[in-house]
Formats: sequence, structure tokens, C-alpha cells
Amino acid sequence: MSVAVTLWRRSLNEVLRVRGALLPATIAPVVFMLGITGQFGRLTGLEGFPTDSYISWIVPLSCLQGAGFAGAATGSNLARDIEQGWFDRLLVAPVARPLLVVGPILGAITRSLVPATVVLVVGLLIGANLTGGVFGLLALYFACAAFCACAALWGIFMAVTFRTQQAGPLMQQGVFLAVFLSTAYTPEVLLQGWLAVVAPYNPVTYVLEMARQATVVGLEPSLEHTLPGLAALAGLAAFLGALAMFGLRRMGH
Amino acid sequence: MKSHLAVAALGRRSLSVQFRRAQLLMPTFVLPLMLLAVIASGTSAAQSLQGFPDVESYLAFVVPGTIIQGTILAGLTAGIAMASDIEFGFFDRLLAAPVRRTSLVLGRLAGTLVLSLLQTTFFLVVSLLFGAGYPGGVPGVLGTLVLAAITAVAMGAVSSAIALRTGSLSLLQSLFPFMFVMLFTAPAFFPQELLTPLLRDISVYNPLTYVVEGVRALLGGTDQLGSPAIGFATAIGLAIATTVLATGALEQRLRKL
Repeated sequence: MSVAVTLWRRSLNEVLRVRGALLPATIAPVVFMLGITGQFGRLTGLEGFPTDSYISWIVPLSCLQGAGFAGAATGSNLARDIEQGWFDRLLVAPVARPLLVVGPILGAITRSLVPATVVLVVGLLIGANLTGGVFGLLALYFACAAFCACAALWGIFMAVTFRTQQAGPLMQQGVFLAVFLSTAYTPEVLLQGWLAVVAPYNPVTYVLEMARQATVVGLEPSLEHTLPGLAALAGLAAFLGALAMFGLRRMGH
Repeated sequence: MKSHLAVAALGRRSLSVQFRRAQLLMPTFVLPLMLLAVIASGTSAAQSLQGFPDVESYLAFVVPGTIIQGTILAGLTAGIAMASDIEFGFFDRLLAAPVRRTSLVLGRLAGTLVLSLLQTTFFLVVSLLFGAGYPGGVPGVLGTLVLAAITAVAMGAVSSAIALRTGSLSLLQSLFPFMFVMLFTAPAFFPQELLTPLLRDISVYNPLTYVVEGVRALLGGTDQLGSPAIGFATAIGLAIATTVLATGALEQRLRKL
């Protein structure tokens, strides 16, 4: 376990010692949040929209997006370690292979707290409401942390498959797609066309519902809005974790 | 070597770099289309809002936003490539070549112009296949291609100026969200009248507002959606100003050598 803790500290050092390392991952979701709210804020006037505050609707989405990008960065960092030969040295160490990625995943979860918190604070400052209280807040942070871990597993799978930093855009785009092919902009009842068909099958739709308990009126904290999200996260983690472990086992063969 | 030949050669080089590295095509060609697909499907209920213009297709209404997003990304790619050339030393070798120094900037921008033409054509064709209609017809589409290309040159010149001033690849790579501020403070995907009040006030000062409305008017074949003339005037003015900025940055860099 000390291996995982050491690698966790190493991945945190990368952030603490590189000036501005977290800046893009933090600013991007804030810009998207402000931009999307400014562009589509009037959508709350549509019949069936659960809240009259669009910023309250978007804040959890942007928190998840920030956490997801922080998670996907684990893949880019691993790909860099593979390209530079550092990961080969770790592979010959007398430790179980899963432990080699546990530390970086824990590091990503820790890092993801920064963009999630910055987005939340900016959102609250410009008018979002914390309607879900403490339980809602816990649901939001848990959703972000677990989604970050899933994104990290996805990034790791990509890194061990392609073994190059050039796969970085694929890692980020995977998170982007997962987040936006859901009830990102409007609730399910207002979705039209192909997205109305796809969104219910996307696990992130339920993760978003869980996270939105923090800020959206009409999604009051309850097991009804929490359990589907937990099940979706468990399913995602199991599937992506299996892919990542499969890829890791093939490393060095 | 004659200047126009040097510009053409450098433009060709910047395009081949773009097309030989698939990971560079993802953000410029695929990302805007993905966002378009999600916005067109996720927010199309907005058409029933009071004050939304009477348009045939919601997809066609949001395509101009995607085109402008493409110009921003094409421009940013130019700056990233320029910074990469500086960091890895290739730019220094170019400086020793017997060509006018301004050709180094203009060549990069020529590549951006052609990239934008290809990109905009791609967006328009894919959107057409998915049901967007262009009542402006062929003249509207051709006008859109030209307007987008001029705007991409302006965006490319801004990011090239930053690359020349700083020479930092990592700075250019982290400019992505800041460039998007320009997209989101223009009525890229929603009518200006329906933006939130603060954003509506800000959008008046964003040159891309007039470009996106110009594209919308060209494709929609109606002046009610915007003014193509103002769009062209804004894009040309922006392109000239930013190219002067970029060549100024090059001269400053040369003075430091």
C-alpha cells in the first residue's frame, strides 16, 4: 500500500511543483459554465424545466466536467511516463500492477477537488442556489470524485493501449462525449431527436441527476435521485477498471 | 526565393503537418461537430421560445456558431504550431533562409486560410446531410466560406502574435479556454435578443458577434438574421489589425536576437 501512497504523493507533486498546472483544467469548466449559461439561460422559460435558475442547472455539469478532465489527465501523465521509460522501471518492481495506477487515480481525485470547488464557488457567487443542503453537497462531491476515478480509468486504458501522449485528445474527448451526450443542457423531457434516445442509456445522465441534488429545485436529496447515480458509477468503474487492468496486464509482453 | 513562393511553401508545410498528425484533426474537425450535434439536439426546444427568429431549421441556425468555433480552433492551431517551431528550433532555421521575414507569418496564415476553407466546407456538408437547409443558396455558402476564412486568418494572427512574443508552447496550449470566451460572448448558438442581459451587453463589443450574424444572414438568405456587409467589414478589419500585430511581434522577436 505504501507504493500507492508514494505514487499518489508523486502525482500531487506534479501539480504543486509545476506553476499553473491546474489552471487550464480549472478555467476551462468555468468558461464553459459562464458561456453556456449566458447562451442558453432563457431555456428555463420552457415548460417542463425544473428550475428557473439555469446556472443552478449547469453548475453540477461543469463540476463533473472539471473533475472528468482532471481524471483523464492521469492517462496523459501515464502515457508520458510510458514514452519516457519511467513506467517500464515500475513494471519490474515487485508490486502488484494495479497498485501502480491506484496512486495516480487517488492523485487525480485529490486534484479534481480544485476545479469542482472553484466552479461551485463561482456558480454560487453568480446566482446558483445550494438547495440540497449538506446531503446535496456530499452527493455532488461524491459524484465528482467517482466520475474523476472513472475518467482516470478511461485515460489509463487509452494510455496502455496506445502508449503515446498523442492519445491525449482521445482521453479528453471521451470525457467530453460522456458528459454532453446526457441531460447536459436540458432535462430529459425537453430533449429532442437522437439525443433523447441516447441520453437515457448514458450512465452520466444518472450521475448528473445525483450531482444536481445540490443545486436544482425539484431534485431534492433522496435515494430516488441517488441510487441510479451510484449504480451508474459502479457500473462505469467496473467496466473501465476491467479494461484498464486488461491493458495493464498486456504491458511488457 | 520570391515572397509569394515562400508563403505558398510555408502554407503547404503547415497544412501537411496538420493532416499528418491525426490528433491535430480531432480538435479542429471533430470537436466542433460534436458540440454542434449535442447543441442542435439538446437545445432545439428553444425554437418555441418567444422572440426566437422564425427559421426553417434549428440546426442551420446553430451551424454559424460551429463555423466560428472552427475558425477559432484553426487559428489556435496556427499559434500552437508556431510556438512548437520556436521551441524546437525550426523557426531559427527558417530565420536563416533567404526569404522576407514577414513571409514566415504570412505563410502560416495562408495555411490557416486553406484549413478554414476545408473545415467550413466539411461542417456545411455534414450539417446538410443531417438536415440543415441553406436558403441563401450557393452565393450564401460561398460567402460563408470566404468570411470564415478571413476570420480564421484573424484568429491565427492573434495566436501567432502570442506565440512570437512568448515562444511558449505550453502557454499556447492553455489558451484554449480563453479563446472560447470570444465564442461564448457572441450570439454563436442563440439569438442576441435571447442572451442573458449581461452577455447581450458584452456581445455588442465582441467583433465575432457581427461575423456570426453575417454568416447566419448569408446562409439564411435574409438580412433579418444579420448583415453580411458588416460581417465582412469586421472580419477584414480584424484580420488586418491582427496581422499587423503578428508581424510587429516578429520584428520585436528579431530585435532581441
